[in-house]
Amino acid sequence: MSVIDILTRVDAICKKYDKYDVDKLNASNVSGDDAFARLYASIESDIDSAIQKAERACQEKNRAAAVALNAEIRRTKARLSEEIPKLQRLALKKVKGLSKEELAIRNDLVLALPDRIQSIPDGSTNGAKQTGSWTSASHMEIRFDSTSDGMFESEYFQQTEESSQFRQEYEMRKMKQDQGLDIISEGLDTLKNMAHDMNEELDRQVPLMDEIDSKVDKATSDLKNTNVRLKDTVNQCFEEMRCRGNRYLDSSSSLYCICISWVQDILRSYSVAAHSLYYCICNLNGNHGWLACYRECDVCALIIYLDVFLWLFIVTNLDVTYLLAETGPCMKAFAILQNHVGCY
Amino acid sequence: MATPDPDKLMAKADKLTKLSFTRWTADWKNATSLYEQAAIGYRFRKDNEKAKEAFEKASKGQEMISSPWDAAKHMESAAALAKEVGHWNEVSDFYKRASELYSECGRSQPASDALAKGASALEDVVPDEAIQLYTDACVILEEDGREQMAFDLYRAATSVYVKLERYADAATFLLRWGIAADKCHAVNSQCKAYLSAIIIYLYMHDFQQAQKCYNDCSQIGAFLSSDQSRCASKLFSAYEEGDVEEIKRVAQSSPITHLDHVIIRLARKLPTGDLKELNKEEAKEEVLDENDLT
Repeated sequence: MSVIDILTRVDAICKKYDKYDVDKLNASNVSGDDAFARLYASIESDIDSAIQKAERACQEKNRAAAVALNAEIRRTKARLSEEIPKLQRLALKKVKGLSKEELAIRNDLVLALPDRIQSIPDGSTNGAKQTGSWTSASHMEIRFDSTSDGMFESEYFQQTEESSQFRQEYEMRKMKQDQGLDIISEGLDTLKNMAHDMNEELDRQVPLMDEIDSKVDKATSDLKNTNVRLKDTVNQCFEEMRCRGNRYLDSSSSLYCICISWVQDILRSYSVAAHSLYYCICNLNGNHGWLACYRECDVCALIIYLDVFLWLFIVTNLDVTYLLAETGPCMKAFAILQNHVGCY
Repeated sequence: MATPDPDKLMAKADKLTKLSFTRWTADWKNATSLYEQAAIGYRFRKDNEKAKEAFEKASKGQEMISSPWDAAKHMESAAALAKEVGHWNEVSDFYKRASELYSECGRSQPASDALAKGASALEDVVPDEAIQLYTDACVILEEDGREQMAFDLYRAATSVYVKLERYADAATFLLRWGIAADKCHAVNSQCKAYLSAIIIYLYMHDFQQAQKCYNDCSQIGAFLSSDQSRCASKLFSAYEEGDVEEIKRVAQSSPITHLDHVIIRLARKLPTGDLKELNKEEAKEEVLDENDLT
């Protein structure tokens, strides 16, 4: 037989023969007759169970379970504290079979009970310090468990000392946050004002932009028209000159030679003038080479050449081949002008 | 080309324009270009008086050849030179004429700009004239439906009024600004204008008027739900309580710091006068009301 078997058998036997246990019977009988004794016994057993629960709560790892146990203990304590006046009344009653000393003892026992009940640890002394004051506060408000405020205050005095520091810290942090939020709000106010002003400014500029848009469109179309006409004119001139040039290839009178030389001098001076203008413009544009300058739409200087050319053509009916030979740049300019105009 | 003497150009141009026995019609075209050249020559020589005259004549010439735009431009140049010389009535006349010429061209913005330039030139010297010019400039723009451009003019005119210490006029002008802002849906400017008007009334220590102004402006929904109206109501409650510290604090608050600097300066000086007087006045009014009821 194992130990367990022995134990169970012994238990079974004891239970069977409990009714023959005189002491126990006496004890239960005594408490059965005496209301005081009964109540006292029940209170004692409650206190014991509460103490056991308190011990379990101390060891409990799970905070929620610990809190629940502590709450139960507190309820028990409150209930027991409420029953104490009843017990006191019963204690003063005279019961048969009880000596005077025993009555006095009962009174003392009753008086000792409240202290014993309060001394049961219910987690508020050791447990969560942060919630200490909270629980005291909540207990202050939800009154159904407590009987007197004084007892709680004395019990929780320690918490307020520790938690007052925390409260201070909390207040400090709140103040700092408020300061920070004030600064942020100031910044946001400024931003909002600037945004509103920007909004109004943009609204103001929208119709101006529309005006600019339409005017520039008009200018662009005018420019395109002008360029097309210029291109036509230049092409025409070119064609005419080529025709005229072929026609005069055979004639070479002295008068013509004189005219040509005279005109060439003038042309050279114009050419020099135009070249210097180009060089100036080139320097301004930072380019080197007048040909590059032509490409940069210096229509004004090109038109000088064109003017000269047309003047020559109209006034003197020159032998254009000589002209072509002598004024290479002029033709180049012409061609480039054509190209430039042609791109429109 | 050597620049010929401006005097000679002027003389030549005058000859062209003066009608005489030999000349039946004035040659304005050539005369105008001569006048312009002369004016530029004088300006180069820093001879402001003569340059001004030359510009005047050039402008007249341009008018005669029916180009009001150029005429207006020359008038403006003449006016600027008049400012240099210091002939203030000429300044205002020239700018007004320039503005008229611009309006002839149908261009309201340059017209108003010309008057604004005139006003800013005259601000220190003849402020009343300046205010008149600003008002006219605002009217020109409003007639053309371009109130948004007028905001700067309103601001400048208000600052001139405040400098002259004509606070009631300043407040009225601000309310006009509010109307203009309302027309172009510039809610922020409108609310700021109303708040500025209220502050000016409080600066004048006219609490009733300020209250009335606030109540009138509160009819407008946009103002009622704005930061500015909240600030105004805080200011009023501070006044009613007679709490100087509170007034100063509200004056430092953000809606007021975003107003025009002229108004901010006035707000910083609040409260003017004794606050208890205001309460006594209010109590007197209440007594009257009771009498009316009974």
